[in-house]
Amino acid sequence: MKPTSVDGVVKFEMSLFNARDDVEWFMIGAFDIDFKPRRFASESNVLRVKHNERANFNVYLRKQDVGKTVYICTHSKLRGEDADIAMVASTICSRIDGERP
Amino acid sequence: MVKLIWATLVAVFFIALWFAMPLLAAEVDIEGNVQAKCIIQTDRSGVYGNPTASKLSTASADGGVEPIVRFDVAVADYYIAKLTYPTSFSTSPSLTDIVTWTGSASVSSVSDAGMSAYDTSKVEYGATTEFDLTIAGSTWFKVNSTAEYGYGKAFSGGTYRAVVTAECIAK
Repeated sequence: MKPTSVDGVVKFEMSLFNARDDVEWFMIGAFDIDFKPRRFASESNVLRVKHNERANFNVYLRKQDVGKTVYICTHSKLRGEDADIAMVASTICSRIDGERP
Repeated sequence: MVKLIWATLVAVFFIALWFAMPLLAAEVDIEGNVQAKCIIQTDRSGVYGNPTASKLSTASADGGVEPIVRFDVAVADYYIAKLTYPTSFSTSPSLTDIVTWTGSASVSSVSDAGMSAYDTSKVEYGATTEFDLTIAGSTWFKVNSTAEYGYGKAFSGGTYRAVVTAECIAK
């Protein structure tokens, strides 16, 4: 977690590596402990990351939301029109509160 | 005799000097950082077989192909894998009756023999199966999915697709 130039806003620097050759688009999300969505901001909510490529992105949260936000996730977006449609949607979540059971 | 004494004194002097000097050795640190990370790959996409007019199934006995999803974790006991079999079609012709969904997820192959215990300790609820990834390495999970239309009702012609959800959640 790093401070930003905006008062009351912090940012998390994330990195996404796409190991799938059947998916190129990913959506970012922030969630609480019960996986309910939390408010966040990012340069883009949807990223295009080609196979075997990495994308770095920032997630911005208000300081008042940091305590309740537990997970930052990326979820694969499947195309609905191509002939070869991926059958597996994947989500990977990082925990930002540092707590482990 | 004098020379011998003199030589001994010089030797003692140098020995004392040697022990008094600090060791001229440098210590070079090598630092590494293992980052916890999880990678999900689709090892094999699934295909629905159509063993009867009212049934679609990924089981090989039914002419289907079970999807296989690979999870790679770099750090042990840091992630939970969650696999959810489909409970609706993502693409299908118009259906007028209910579809009954069943399925399961299990370990297909592992990179570490200890991972075979994942199947015995998995937790199933609804359409989701959770595996606690307690060992670092690669695990391949297979997912079975079956859809039955109405009560012995035939699926109408067309393309049917459904999606398996694979999640890797940090503990």
